[in-house]
Amino acid sequence: MTDKNMNLEDELKSALRRQQAPPHFTERVLAQIAEQNSSTQAVRTRWWSIFTQPLVRWAAVTATAASLVVGGIYYRTVQRERTQGEAAKQQLMLALRIARNKLQLAKARVNEINATPSTNRSRSEEE
Amino acid sequence: MAERVFRDHPPHTGTRFADAFADLVRRHQSMVFSIALHYLADRPAAEELAQDVFLQLHANLPNLKSEEHVTFWLRKVTAHRCIDYKRRRTLPQVSLEEVAEPSAAPARAEDPFLARKLRQVIASLPERPRLVMILRYQEDMRPEEIAEALSLPVGTVKSHLQRTLALLREKVSRSIGEVTI
Repeated sequence: MTDKNMNLEDELKSALRRQQAPPHFTERVLAQIAEQNSSTQAVRTRWWSIFTQPLVRWAAVTATAASLVVGGIYYRTVQRERTQGEAAKQQLMLALRIARNKLQLAKARVNEINATPSTNRSRSEEE
Repeated sequence: MAERVFRDHPPHTGTRFADAFADLVRRHQSMVFSIALHYLADRPAAEELAQDVFLQLHANLPNLKSEEHVTFWLRKVTAHRCIDYKRRRTLPQVSLEEVAEPSAAPARAEDPFLARKLRQVIASLPERPRLVMILRYQEDMRPEEIAEALSLPVGTVKSHLQRTLALLREKVSRSIGEVTI
């Protein structure tokens, strides 16, 4: 190939041809994977191994039972308070309805009283 | 063969799968390492990046259906990791027009240094054109395949190829005098 006919694309293919990976590349990748797997396994094993001790096991059972009891009591308290709140709300609504009715009656009476003197006044004017 | 490996040996289990995975690494290590090397122009960094790509492959193998899928996945992931790697190191980006001139020493077609000069120019290209050139001339991929791997429009890939080739012709021609490429 002469200088004049040099083909850039061929030169690029040659310049960018694949290179050999460094020696023992595969082994290093596999070692890293094994290391990752073993560390994950170790963490998992370490976490579970706590429960092999009887004291820890009983403590876990007790803690679970205690939290269930406390949770149950708390739930019932909340339920009771909610029921009481609902009842109080109903009573308040009833009281408000009664008050509204009383006010309407009073208003009607006032209107009636206001209407009566004007009739009397017109009669006295006629006389 | 890969289909059989993927079907018969679920990932992460047994020595037969480990052997099959080792074969997979051996078959593709040159491709992954070379893309990283040509992009980063740094051997230790390229090796580190290639190892990370294969660790990711190991984790993602259950999602890959065939040898072709693995090849496509490796090219795509390597390309994206190259870009991320370079960005993390915040090396200055050079525009296509500011690409470094190869040394002014006369070069000939059979000049053993021409390939090195081309690699130098390619290594100094902006990230997308550089990857396009590497995938085109190292992996012999078609513009459509490059576009898919890099999530770019085909037109953009073709434009990168044309512009970079024109630029390379100009740079190399200037450095080797009257030679037309």
